[in-house]
Amino acid sequence: MKKFAVILGSAVLAISALLFSQAKPARLFIKNATIVPVVGERIEGGGILVEDGKIKAIGKALQAPADAAVLDASGTFVYPGFIDSYSHFGLAEISSIPSTTDFREMGKENPELRAVWAINPHSVHFGTGRVTGTTSALVAPAGGTFPGISALVKMDGWTVPEMVVKEAATSFINFPMTPRPVGEGMAVQKESKEDVTSKLVEKIRDYLKEARRYLELKKLAAAGPDVEAPEYSAKYEALQPVLEGTLPVIISVEKAKDIELAIKFVQDEKLKAIFRGCAQGFKVADKIKQSGIPVIIDSLYTGPSEPEDGYDAAYRNVVELARAGVLISFSSGDSPAHGKDLPYHAAKAVAFGLSPEEAIKALTINPAKMFGVADRMGSIEVGKDADLLIAAGDPLDLKTEVKQLVINGRAIDMANWWETLYEKFKGRPEK
Amino acid sequence: MKPRIAAIGICAALLLSLSGWLPAAETAILLKNGQIITVSGETITGGDILVQGTKIVKVGKGLPAPAGAEVIDLGGRWIMPGIIDSHSHIAVEGEVNEMGALLTPEVDCRDVINPQDINIFYALTGGVTSVHTMHGSANPIGGRGISLKLRWGKSAEELIFVEAPLTSKWALGENPKRSNMTGAGPARYPRTRMGVEESIRDEFEKAKDYMRTWAEYEKKAKAARESKGKNPPPLPPKKDFRLEGIADILSGRLWVRCHAYQSEEMLSIMRLCREYGVKLVCFEHGLEGYRITNELVQYGVGVSTFADFWGYKWEAYNTMPQAAALCAKRGVLVAISSDDSERMRHLFNDAAKTVRFGGATEDEALRMLTINPAKIMGVDRWVGTIEPGKDADLAVFNRHPLDPFTVCEMTMVDGAVYFDRAKYLEERKKTEEEEKKKEPEKKDGGEV
Repeated sequence: MKKFAVILGSAVLAISALLFSQAKPARLFIKNATIVPVVGERIEGGGILVEDGKIKAIGKALQAPADAAVLDASGTFVYPGFIDSYSHFGLAEISSIPSTTDFREMGKENPELRAVWAINPHSVHFGTGRVTGTTSALVAPAGGTFPGISALVKMDGWTVPEMVVKEAATSFINFPMTPRPVGEGMAVQKESKEDVTSKLVEKIRDYLKEARRYLELKKLAAAGPDVEAPEYSAKYEALQPVLEGTLPVIISVEKAKDIELAIKFVQDEKLKAIFRGCAQGFKVADKIKQSGIPVIIDSLYTGPSEPEDGYDAAYRNVVELARAGVLISFSSGDSPAHGKDLPYHAAKAVAFGLSPEEAIKALTINPAKMFGVADRMGSIEVGKDADLLIAAGDPLDLKTEVKQLVINGRAIDMANWWETLYEKFKGRPEK
Repeated sequence: MKPRIAAIGICAALLLSLSGWLPAAETAILLKNGQIITVSGETITGGDILVQGTKIVKVGKGLPAPAGAEVIDLGGRWIMPGIIDSHSHIAVEGEVNEMGALLTPEVDCRDVINPQDINIFYALTGGVTSVHTMHGSANPIGGRGISLKLRWGKSAEELIFVEAPLTSKWALGENPKRSNMTGAGPARYPRTRMGVEESIRDEFEKAKDYMRTWAEYEKKAKAARESKGKNPPPLPPKKDFRLEGIADILSGRLWVRCHAYQSEEMLSIMRLCREYGVKLVCFEHGLEGYRITNELVQYGVGVSTFADFWGYKWEAYNTMPQAAALCAKRGVLVAISSDDSERMRHLFNDAAKTVRFGGATEDEALRMLTINPAKIMGVDRWVGTIEPGKDADLAVFNRHPLDPFTVCEMTMVDGAVYFDRAKYLEERKKTEEEEKKKEPEKKDGGEV
């Protein structure tokens, strides 16, 4: 392993020097790798040719062109880079210090706000978050009913525009949650008679109705002088692609009852929806499947939504959703400091019955499909972005080291805040 | 609502039934054919463990089952000493911080043990068998902690790990400074690290006076007794439970567990403890401990830390997941602890992270879950390894506990099974089938 590290290390150095020194991106050739393309069969001892940030060729018999930088990946596994389906990368540095957080705006209705305006490309969490293989992430705003618009970004770049895959990737609606009553017994029965959730859903519907009316008026005003154009509303404008079903909307929803309400809501409003959370999805997995709505799984470092769901509900949930055929993907959740745990959540689901292949798909091609970028991300195929992770072993294993990431065809600098500290302090002489 | 209540009832019954099959006093159990991670020595492949009553009596290969012994076939699964969480707040009724005063050594978690906290059961599902449950970190000197054995279903008194030393919880840095609590009530002293240390030092001096006053009184009282009525008996000084608590710290009766993040304040408090003769056992979290390994080793202070929880506040920012392994390699006593009822369910996963980050050996990683926290809690004579004479606190996994896909399948405390995943799933299936049968009834009955 050490020998390999040295070879790979020096190869990477050489490549970095090559890549950074040339104006036109050089060609990169990864050789002797076990390639797990996700779409298609595994290739033992294969090569990948990368050109202009894209995968140019893949194959067993492939030879390195003379002008390509060669990365000998003997003994390692090459996967498509992982996609984190929900994060606040670049929007939060230290969660308890307000001056370092930018993902939660005041007010409930902010559908026009864009995460892309606030991302700090040099947040330490991009560097530490990718050490386990994440090459892209959905960066989301949070809070209120309509938190805004997420961006899909690559985990590397000098500026935000360099990182952006989709400036407007999804909108969001935080669905109201049926609260778990405090205490059990008579008081609860009384409380449950009043359906607070449905009332709150009505409020969301009313808001969408207003947005539709605004857009309709605008259209009529444009068509002729009879109708006066409504006063400009950035909020309603932002909802236009959502209401037209062209911009996917991520709906956070947890309880089984609420999921059923949300499915009806999505169908009535004709939205292109993705659910996030679905902690009790296992109770209505077939209904979710029928609706065709994919699900982003939240951090699996979580207990059951309700004790009756069982101690293992979070893991069982993923297994049941996958079994029902729901398109699922994983996410690292609310804390960018713990972005590196992305594959560990997948591993937890595998421990409880998800197949490793499904788990890898849920980290790669599934989110690519959800976010409408399966034509350029999520698998190792010719023509796709060269976003690759090169790991010493199974990338789902907590003990596996990801040796190198390739993002947009570049073997990136793997240095990060943790390594900086580690290098410094392991150098302190021992007494 | 009825189904919900029924579900809870069934759930409770299920949990009780799981905790139900306790062995009679001296029942023998032979755990056969396991991969035994002893922690104290080599891992034994295809090994057996003989449990008599609450204790491990034999560990080896091909042990014969004594007459009448229950035999559990491990079928090649992994068995390790029960995981010990040296920093927890589970099974405490209500709030864990006494906010009414700055220094509160007079309050005790022992008085508020909640044996019905479902987190006890959740901990068992993650192979945890003992915890040290603690006062919070709002006070430079907080209340006393208590070590518990997770005998789920037993009374508060029966959960107590009676052999464990008593502890005093201290806290430095942002929490006692209330740095992240602006707007939550009026500001209070201290607001700086200087003030935190001074508030401790100040109270020590008061307690020393208090101890002196009592010593003088005892001396006079003794003289009065011996004078046979010649000297009148002196009036006793006023009792002060807070200063009694500090006196217990100064006498070394309480083991100090000090919440701290920054290396320099750890160094500072180590000097203070040495100056006053305080038994400082370990730093809680100690995320910057990797910077002062020489000093931690020199003073004999351990860290009860996270594998990789970081970045949530300024003092938790200057660290790395390599920290635990680096500390361990340099001879610091390291325990991986949870501080969280959810994290405690996957401490074995956290330990695996110390192998990936910082290169801890698998043996080191396993010690961080078992014998190291046992030492920090002062219970290593009873738990933390699989050896004859130790308590039969054991956790069974379907794969190696550091394997990413491992699942805890059975947990024993004192030779009794408190969690058995196979039985749990069986019961759950039954419950769910019963629930399904009830569904049409509910429809017929209309609104309930």
